[in-house]
Amino acid sequence: MTRRGNPLLPYALIAPTLLFVLVFTVYPTISSIVGSLFQHRLNIPRFREPVFYGLGNYIDLFSSDEFRMILGNTFRYVVTVVPLWVVTALFLALWLSRPRFARFRVAMFHPTMLPMVSAATVWMFFLTPDYGLWNEFLRFFGYSGPENWVSNPDLSLWALVFVAFWKDAGFYMIFYLAGVQNLPNDVYEALKLEGAGPLVTFFRFTLPLLRRTTLFVTTVAVIGAFRIVDHVFIMTQGGPSGRSALLLYHLWRVRFDSLNVGQASAITVILIVMLLIFTVTNFLMSERRSTDA
Amino acid sequence: MPRFMMIAMLIAVVAGGAFAGGQPEAAETESVTISIAYPVAVDAPVAEIFDAYAEDFMEQNPNVQVETVYAGGYGDVKTTIQTTIDGGGEAPALGVMLATDLFDLANAQYIEPMTPYVEAMENSEEYLDDFLPAFLSNSYYMDDVWSLPFQRSAVVMYYNADMLAENDLGVPTDWETLGETASALTQRDGDTVTRWGIEWPSGWPYWLFQPLAIGSGQNIVGESDTEVYFDDPAVIDAIEYYNALSAEYEAMPAGVQASWGNVVPNFVSGNTGMIIHSSGSLSNVLSQADFEVGVAGIPGPDGGSYSVPGGGNIYMTAGLSEAQKQAAFDFAVFITEASRAADFSIQTGYIATRESAFGEEAMQAYISQNPQAGQTRDVLATAGKELSVQNLGEVRNIFHNHLQAAINGDMEPAAAMAEAQRAADEALADFR
Repeated sequence: MTRRGNPLLPYALIAPTLLFVLVFTVYPTISSIVGSLFQHRLNIPRFREPVFYGLGNYIDLFSSDEFRMILGNTFRYVVTVVPLWVVTALFLALWLSRPRFARFRVAMFHPTMLPMVSAATVWMFFLTPDYGLWNEFLRFFGYSGPENWVSNPDLSLWALVFVAFWKDAGFYMIFYLAGVQNLPNDVYEALKLEGAGPLVTFFRFTLPLLRRTTLFVTTVAVIGAFRIVDHVFIMTQGGPSGRSALLLYHLWRVRFDSLNVGQASAITVILIVMLLIFTVTNFLMSERRSTDA
Repeated sequence: MPRFMMIAMLIAVVAGGAFAGGQPEAAETESVTISIAYPVAVDAPVAEIFDAYAEDFMEQNPNVQVETVYAGGYGDVKTTIQTTIDGGGEAPALGVMLATDLFDLANAQYIEPMTPYVEAMENSEEYLDDFLPAFLSNSYYMDDVWSLPFQRSAVVMYYNADMLAENDLGVPTDWETLGETASALTQRDGDTVTRWGIEWPSGWPYWLFQPLAIGSGQNIVGESDTEVYFDDPAVIDAIEYYNALSAEYEAMPAGVQASWGNVVPNFVSGNTGMIIHSSGSLSNVLSQADFEVGVAGIPGPDGGSYSVPGGGNIYMTAGLSEAQKQAAFDFAVFITEASRAADFSIQTGYIATRESAFGEEAMQAYISQNPQAGQTRDVLATAGKELSVQNLGEVRNIFHNHLQAAINGDMEPAAAMAEAQRAADEALADFR
């Protein structure tokens, strides 16, 4: 028996969100795709109005050594920081899920509440060679290598990784806390009765039960890793020699420093495509596993 | 039905809320509202100073409302103005942005020429002549005046005069004595350095590097706005000397020094003997140092004293009404008047932008108590041209990447600069 109700009701309910998504996601995406096909450079009079350029912006980007290096930097950054976030968040959530650890949870979450610019500025002082707290800490544990974290070409990217990791591990812990607190108690009681050891409990029960949460956290973490570049502005400005430049930072530089609107749109499209491929793959892989089981 | 009506009302409220957050109607009747976006780039109470100037101006001009907008750094002010204008909004009438941003801003039509307003002034020739030429030269493009010098500085070398006297050292006069003096001032405790002889920030290197190149014989930028000379042998010599300060004289940290924010605290606490920094830090240095501070230009290989100007000018943004443009220009003239230029210089350490400011009583008194303020102005007399070309963002980025590679030892200086020149020529090809 069908329910009586206005057939338009569902559409009316989703209309506000749909409007938002159309205006703030769909329209800018289409606009960027279209804009990337034009040569539009604000500081050259003959290109101040867009001139059709086909795939020229993409060819220019991929044939540039600097852009390929930036893609490499971004890839290494994301592939390092996301597992660090996810694994740390999971362990923090498992460890601190009991009520008496509330203060520790707040302590772990506190860096997330800071604006990234403030956090990066404070870390700039920690990372000072010779007398910065970070280097003193490392020396205490016997580290005797280079200390110039921000301007050493081999270290600058990892300095960014560490600051981003420190800042947001607590944020992803919150999602895992929600997942952990929803784990079924009866499963764990049964496991205790059976005498299952901690490793078995974790790998064969806890992890699979948290798969949906992990999917969500990983997706949000990857998007966050691409999106948060404030620390690049404060700490390294993409240097030295572009070795710590990330994709979104490069996008800002191309759009606002070089005033190359067409190329900035092309970078936007590349970014969207990368994130889309990742999210869809992640989702499909996770869903396939759940249908197999 | 009631439930549906409730939901429909909820949707209406949300939709209404989305459109209701509009701007209040501007009081169009008599008063004109202008705002000025400014950055804070040195350790000085710039926000309070601006607010005081705005209040004084509003007292004298009751029909003008002046809002001061603190926007972050120079880059943030520029981004704010660009995004507002691109988005079709009304940008602040005035913006304090880098003097070197002129070409890109003018080409992209984000700013308006001030020429008609300058020419409408009485004594416009004398007015312009009163600005220090090293500063005003950045305001001209395509036969128009686009900006007024406001918070300008120069690259200077601060040295700890007491420390030099203790070690029987004179003020360095050329590259060799600079290296030797720095070497003598460096102290080590085993393998760790407890005091550096000299620190020379290179995280954003072009500005502090230019005096070395100029002293060596060739500035990295030419007279025209499309010529750069990165691969000139004199420039390469300058890079090799910079590297030698750490490699041979062992008086400076090796590699790129991302230490702009650290060198002043290091200097005033006595942990560094000499630093290269902006003259805009002068007030801060003088107030914190408990020793005698000396100020000089950067020596050249065989003597002389070299520097480059830097800092920000006031620009008038595009898209304003006539009344706003006139009010904006009046305010710009107001805050660059000799007495205010002197006041701003004393409070912040920026170099006063007008000759007549140095004749003001307050300035004379300040200089007699702090001769270093007069020395920073003297350094300007032999200053070269700051890097300011078309497509500045890209060219500067190319130079930074390759200069830092040469300083970090990733590339040989000659090879790095040859590559930089090639890339810069490509970036400038569209403008020649």
